[in-house]
Amino acid sequence: MVVKPIDIKADKRVFKAASLMGPRSGLPTVVESDKDGNLTRIRPMHYRDYVDWDSKNPWKIEARGKTLTPPDRTLPGVYYMSYKKRVYSENRVRWPLKRVDWDPKGERNPQNRGKSPYVRISWDEAAQIVADELLRMRDTYGMSAVLSQADMHGEGKHVAPSHGCANRLLSLLGGYTSQMRNQDSWEGYSWGSKNVWGGEPVGEMQPSGNVWPDIAKHSELLLFWAADPETTPVGFDGYMSSRLNQWLKSIGLKYVYVDPALNYSACYMADKWIPILPNTDAAMFLAIAYVWLTEDTYDKEYVKTHAVGYEPFFDYVLGKEDGESKTPAWASEKCGVPEWTIKAVARDWASKITSLTIGNGGPGIRGAFSTEPARLQSILLGMQGLGKPGVHQAKWLEWNLHTPVYQMPYQGEAVINLPHRAELVRPYDSSREWLAKSLEVHSPERTDEAAKEAKSDEPFKIQDDIGQGRYKLSEVASTIEELAELCKITDIPPQQSVPRCMVHDAILKDSIEWWGLYSFCGPAEQQWTKHVFPRPGHSRLHMIWTDAPCNVTCWNDGFNFVKAYRSPEIECIVAQHPWMENDCYLADIILPVATKFEMDDICDDAGGGTLTSVFREYPACPPIGESLNDFDCVATVARKISEDVFMAYTGNDKAVERVIELFWQGSGVAHLDTEDEFHKKDIFVVPGDTRIQEAPAGLAEFAGNPDEHPLSTPTGKLEFTSTGLLEHFPNDEERPPFPKWIEKSDLHDERLSSPRVKDYPYLCMSNHGRWRFHANLDDVTWSREIETMKIRAKDGYQYEPAWMHPAAAKERGIAHGDIVKVYNERGTVLCAAYLTERLIPQVIYVDHGSRFDPIDVETLDRGGAINLITPHNNISKHATGMVVSGFLVGIDKVTDEEMAGWKAKYPEAFARKIDEACGVCLDGWLIDS
Amino acid sequence: MPKVFTVDVAKCNGCYNCQLACKDEHSGNDWTPYAKPQPDIGQFWVKLQENVGGTIPKVKIHYIPYLCNHCEKAACMEACGRGCFYRRDDGLVILAPEKCDGCGKCMKACPYHAIFKNDELKICQKCTGCAHLLDNGYKLPRCVEACPTDCLQFVEEADAQAFIVGSTVNMPETGLRPRVFYRNIPGKFIAGTVYDPVEKEVIIGARCRATNGGKTVEVLSDEYGDFWFKDLAMGKYDVVIEAKGYEYKTFDAVDATIDVNLGDIAMDRV
Repeated sequence: MVVKPIDIKADKRVFKAASLMGPRSGLPTVVESDKDGNLTRIRPMHYRDYVDWDSKNPWKIEARGKTLTPPDRTLPGVYYMSYKKRVYSENRVRWPLKRVDWDPKGERNPQNRGKSPYVRISWDEAAQIVADELLRMRDTYGMSAVLSQADMHGEGKHVAPSHGCANRLLSLLGGYTSQMRNQDSWEGYSWGSKNVWGGEPVGEMQPSGNVWPDIAKHSELLLFWAADPETTPVGFDGYMSSRLNQWLKSIGLKYVYVDPALNYSACYMADKWIPILPNTDAAMFLAIAYVWLTEDTYDKEYVKTHAVGYEPFFDYVLGKEDGESKTPAWASEKCGVPEWTIKAVARDWASKITSLTIGNGGPGIRGAFSTEPARLQSILLGMQGLGKPGVHQAKWLEWNLHTPVYQMPYQGEAVINLPHRAELVRPYDSSREWLAKSLEVHSPERTDEAAKEAKSDEPFKIQDDIGQGRYKLSEVASTIEELAELCKITDIPPQQSVPRCMVHDAILKDSIEWWGLYSFCGPAEQQWTKHVFPRPGHSRLHMIWTDAPCNVTCWNDGFNFVKAYRSPEIECIVAQHPWMENDCYLADIILPVATKFEMDDICDDAGGGTLTSVFREYPACPPIGESLNDFDCVATVARKISEDVFMAYTGNDKAVERVIELFWQGSGVAHLDTEDEFHKKDIFVVPGDTRIQEAPAGLAEFAGNPDEHPLSTPTGKLEFTSTGLLEHFPNDEERPPFPKWIEKSDLHDERLSSPRVKDYPYLCMSNHGRWRFHANLDDVTWSREIETMKIRAKDGYQYEPAWMHPAAAKERGIAHGDIVKVYNERGTVLCAAYLTERLIPQVIYVDHGSRFDPIDVETLDRGGAINLITPHNNISKHATGMVVSGFLVGIDKVTDEEMAGWKAKYPEAFARKIDEACGVCLDGWLIDS
Repeated sequence: MPKVFTVDVAKCNGCYNCQLACKDEHSGNDWTPYAKPQPDIGQFWVKLQENVGGTIPKVKIHYIPYLCNHCEKAACMEACGRGCFYRRDDGLVILAPEKCDGCGKCMKACPYHAIFKNDELKICQKCTGCAHLLDNGYKLPRCVEACPTDCLQFVEEADAQAFIVGSTVNMPETGLRPRVFYRNIPGKFIAGTVYDPVEKEVIIGARCRATNGGKTVEVLSDEYGDFWFKDLAMGKYDVVIEAKGYEYKTFDAVDATIDVNLGDIAMDRV
């Protein structure tokens, strides 16, 4: 039978990268759509369809007689493959919305946030309301009353970035209070390891260039410490990490995974899985050090020449300080790993050339006292000759971040530095008290004057241009006058900031104070400064504008965020977002945002690991409903304020086409594009730098000569006892000058030794999920069919899985698929039991980021947003970060009677429409839906 | 030229890209006469199966993608009374949706459950191998193209002989001669950890033997005291563990119809 060619609906092909980490992440896919603008399919990009692949110098790693090369296509992951469902989600915000019982000229009913539905309003009305509210704030309290929540992660967009567009407008109006993102992906390293090995800007091992080729050549053993190459890299870099992982195993490296759960890499790659109780790794590290010290199997010469302050640490390990030797028997009690296994791993590590691999998970970033396991990791690597061939801390993702030479050798002949136009998290400027005063202005003209005055002052210094995608034009780019003008940062910084992990406190308490976190990725010295909110002469918070509405589902003590957002002190909440999810239900006005698929843009691939590229992203489909891109959402509000403000905000209303061309010119690689491929093919693949592997691997130079190549620590050496901590916080019992086992403190009592175990007998672990990127993509109907993503329970609702060991489940009469409640003092989250041998029995494991679906808005959630009940307090007194994993919970089966009781008590919550495939959906929150 | 699907299970990282790419291509897209739209949820023209074996901490997972086998002796085709099925030169078996009235005979006939009923359209549906794309300049079915580790491939049968010889198919006993070939589906394992309960040390180099039907497999315990008998044929095994200076341990008739973790095994000093 012969079938005639049919219309396969590929009328239009464009490049798109979801780039969910933000700019400098992501990889191009080919998105095809039909003549009517409907998305047809999303495919990997095959380089050979566009460029002469071989002439682009694809990299190769040669080791042990084997070669690894990149495939000649990109390797998009689950998030990319299902993005059509994200664009067309039942949960898209299609028009501007207003909470039905919020009247800016009358009753605001803050107590109904999270309960009341929304009505559709026009853009004209929405923009006018927001403009009026901003001016009212300015006249009533000053602009510092407006909190801007504008940090990662969202789609990586450049012309109209997901985050920070509002900051630009708020600055033009006189300033704002900035939500300063805590270093959520690196907290223990940042607050801990920085004080051991420097590792600026985030505290992981730096420099980290070429560590993977070096591991391939020299390492014998890879430790995966809470690292899952199959999960956390996917949103950043796709699946190159999977290929690397499979290849290294195939050339003979041995893999040992230490993790409370058998993660998605361990389950098919591990030679050894060592289940450990969450957040007890510090005990195991100490016992390993004990074995090395007592068996004399550490690199003594290296420690003598490369480390300082090791004696007191060794004394502590050997029990000379506190009378308690940190033996494997001692550690076994704490961490649940058999004594014999601890000894075995200590000896294996000491006898083999070993690198320790990480991947944005585990106790070093998400637990109470995360500084301690992170520091111990650094110290133990130091005890085995860190920086020598094959001895590194290596990461399965973010290979291009924070390092001049990438961890994998796909780097181009020049490094891409693609501009974008938004003002991301920017520190307040404490040297500008005078400016703060002048901000008591009441007209845009005065603001301009203040701005002019500011210009004559020393230019505002950005702490660094690395973290947060905060953009600083490269030297080349800043010579392009038109681009420099377009990307000029407004002169007025925020007047004050609030750590993201303390926003609830900032609203609910009279004042707050914290250490460090002056900027997102500031140097170690910032840890020694104290900050307060509100700052003298500035306002408390009365309005919130968020373009990152996920604090209830991604941050600490989410239910407390809910309480804060329902405070009568907060008069107006504006959410600017493509989807109706999480913090959005607490907003008064919701502005509909177009996804990047609907936008005209330019993007870069610096993370995908094949080769780097810059590509044009034409719109793949028209905007959904009345959505606008983020930049235009804010511009619409700006126009309601005044034409001057609008022109200042937009950079004189420059055409998108021109903006993209300028960004390309300023990308840092345009000069290499001698064949004009960017304009002809819409993609310029940067030729690989064939000599990049000649650069030293990791800390090789430090290892070779620590005096000539010092670390950025005060002594230039590995500080087993930290100079900075000894000077500034010598008596800190949660983060002492050298790392210790911290059982509990005034801030945290989250161990199985706690008396709270009587009511909350399990440790809840929460990591980044495999099928979501943080709170993104919980609505994808296709991934919701995967059982580790959602479980459809007997009531038809798709619940978030709560992993439990069958033995633990049996004790509590829980069967696979049962609706369960996970609870503690902070509230209750409903899930469905997922029984598995992949988990240590004392643990309940729930991925973070499932969408909030309130039953009782301040205490009870059906959506499985586990962060609602994560601990409130910071990592420790002087370490300003969050604790979102390794906390005590109870778990029980939800009986039919209990569910019936809730349905009777909260009929409105259960009446909201739940889409069969997508779950929480826009219709459920619309009035008259 | 006839083509086949090949699956190297050892390479599957369980990413579900195959399952998702299939939905991306077929859900909401109408490829008549090749296929009508696949419903948004509920049908799996490619389905990834997770196979979890063992008990903590000796647990392993392997994933197997299952799709229409495009059988040489297609039972569906034989069962259909309306002539809805046809086989292409490339070997793909197509269920022409315009002829189908959803009678379901093909579903009942297919032992692989690869055919689905679409109640709304009142037709049966299944994998087309993305024939509509192959006929229009695309080189690969979507599931294959989306596979990041090259586990799933669609290749000329003539070129795949090295893979096919020694490979397996799903339920060969059906005799339908499936054209999806699998390699590296692991057999069962018996594993454990050997240690000295007095010294609280693992025992390295213990000689561990598993015997079934006169055949013995031998491994030594590793640096962690672990021993793994991998890739065992299903059956009952007598396991003997010997270490110098210790009483030997035996486990009789260990039932390896499932993966077995014998746990941490305390060895007594002689």
